[in-house]
Amino acid sequence: MDCRETQTLLTAFHDGELPAADRARVEEHLRGCPECGALPADLARADQTAGVPDPGPAYWDRFNARVMDRVEREADGPRVAVLRPKHGWMRQQLRYLVPAAAAAALVVVVVRYGGMNPGVPTPTVPPAVSERAAPVLPNERFATVTREERDRLADRSLPAGNEEASRDRAAAPAAISVPSPPPLMTFRGAPAGSPPVSAADGIPSGMQAEQKKMAGAAALMAEQQVAGKAKSASGMRIAKEPSPGSPCELARTLAAQERWREAEAAQRACLAQDRSAPAQEKGLVFLAELLDRQERFAEADAVITEVDRQFPQSRPLDLYRRQRPMVQKQPMAVPVTR
Amino acid sequence: MGADLGEEKDERLAALAAGGDRGAFGALVTRHRQAVYRLCWSATGNAADADDAAQETFVRVYRSLPSYDPARPFGPWLRKIAWNCGLSVRRDGIAGVPRVAEGDAPEAVDPAPGPEEAAAGNEERRRVAGAMAGLPAELRMVIVLRAVEGLSYAEIALAAGIPAGTVMSRLSRARTRLLAALGGCS
Repeated sequence: MDCRETQTLLTAFHDGELPAADRARVEEHLRGCPECGALPADLARADQTAGVPDPGPAYWDRFNARVMDRVEREADGPRVAVLRPKHGWMRQQLRYLVPAAAAAALVVVVVRYGGMNPGVPTPTVPPAVSERAAPVLPNERFATVTREERDRLADRSLPAGNEEASRDRAAAPAAISVPSPPPLMTFRGAPAGSPPVSAADGIPSGMQAEQKKMAGAAALMAEQQVAGKAKSASGMRIAKEPSPGSPCELARTLAAQERWREAEAAQRACLAQDRSAPAQEKGLVFLAELLDRQERFAEADAVITEVDRQFPQSRPLDLYRRQRPMVQKQPMAVPVTR
Repeated sequence: MGADLGEEKDERLAALAAGGDRGAFGALVTRHRQAVYRLCWSATGNAADADDAAQETFVRVYRSLPSYDPARPFGPWLRKIAWNCGLSVRRDGIAGVPRVAEGDAPEAVDPAPGPEEAAAGNEERRRVAGAMAGLPAELRMVIVLRAVEGLSYAEIALAAGIPAGTVMSRLSRARTRLLAALGGCS
């Protein structure tokens, strides 16, 4: 056996997967060839580096409880009854109807406020339309806009990577509306005076442009989630004037209520929606804080590392780093990066 | 009861869990959570997504238990779900957070490290994990399943849905790239 053949078989030899006869031949060659004889040690060294960073005992202590919490929530029944009916047939129908209703809502918004009839205010706004599609109790809405719920909405029994499921997931956030939270957070310079829009209100003067942006934002989110791409120019426009009830604003509101997990989900959606550099920089720092609040320090570290890489000498990150020890000691305190 | 469950085979626990035994399901989670997390990390390359995927894996397992056939081995079934969840999280980009860049490895959590100590202690670990994070997911998967979980080529092939020969070639490439990333010879 020559060196070439030996090296071809070396991986299987190292892993104990070679038939006995081949194994003996490889061993014989290794004994007589100093160059090849050193290779098994290299393979062993590679294997020693193949570990996965362990999240630590605190993470594992909470792991089962978190799984069981999600399982219990599924078992306890739907918080969004209409979206998760007991009967299979209805559920099947809603799998298509809910995204369809969301798409219809977008069409309505775009047609009405996108130039076809721009001067006529109407009480039909996205939240109202989506409420018809998914009548959710007002106080339950925040809690329902979690990823798990969106997954349910899209019916995760579909195969992973199914295009249809992806479209459903992309449409779901647009279908589930949230009440307009007060603009509590000022971190990203969102305009504090954006008038909230409710189902009962008409469109205030000057809101038409924003309605277009809302439609644009929803379409962008859907596009991003389907295509996995983002256009920074669009993101920048949205970042300057977040819509009432946008994930960014929702994240800040939920954080103010110390609903960290839900705030985190909303903030992740916010980051997916707005890819502009300033929004990403501040948004990622805020996400790191939300993770710290949940004592998921390793994940927060990873996010901070990412901010460091993308935005060297980031001022928001620098500020947060100074406050981080306090945040980690008092995870339930008021957000500092909002 | 807990001790009894701990000695039960996976397939038996799965059958009990499918019948509504939460304790049996919890035992399954405890038994497999670290392997599932590692596989999910292999698919995603970062801790945050690995966490999402690992949690989602067990929720899907619970949801799918009624359709699980205890006559078939539990491990491969679980690994298949975990790998799919990992890829799904990565593909969906649900998190919205850019993937942790290759080379930027998430840090493991030390129970109570001081900042200096943690930074120094994590340096080598970060470098090693960075080499892993820099691998393509498919290579990470085979090297983790082989070098960490100790699975055979046949078991890896089953989990990955690839021939055993491909497992071997991927392992070879993974090791070569790891050594190169760590500055060793290959």
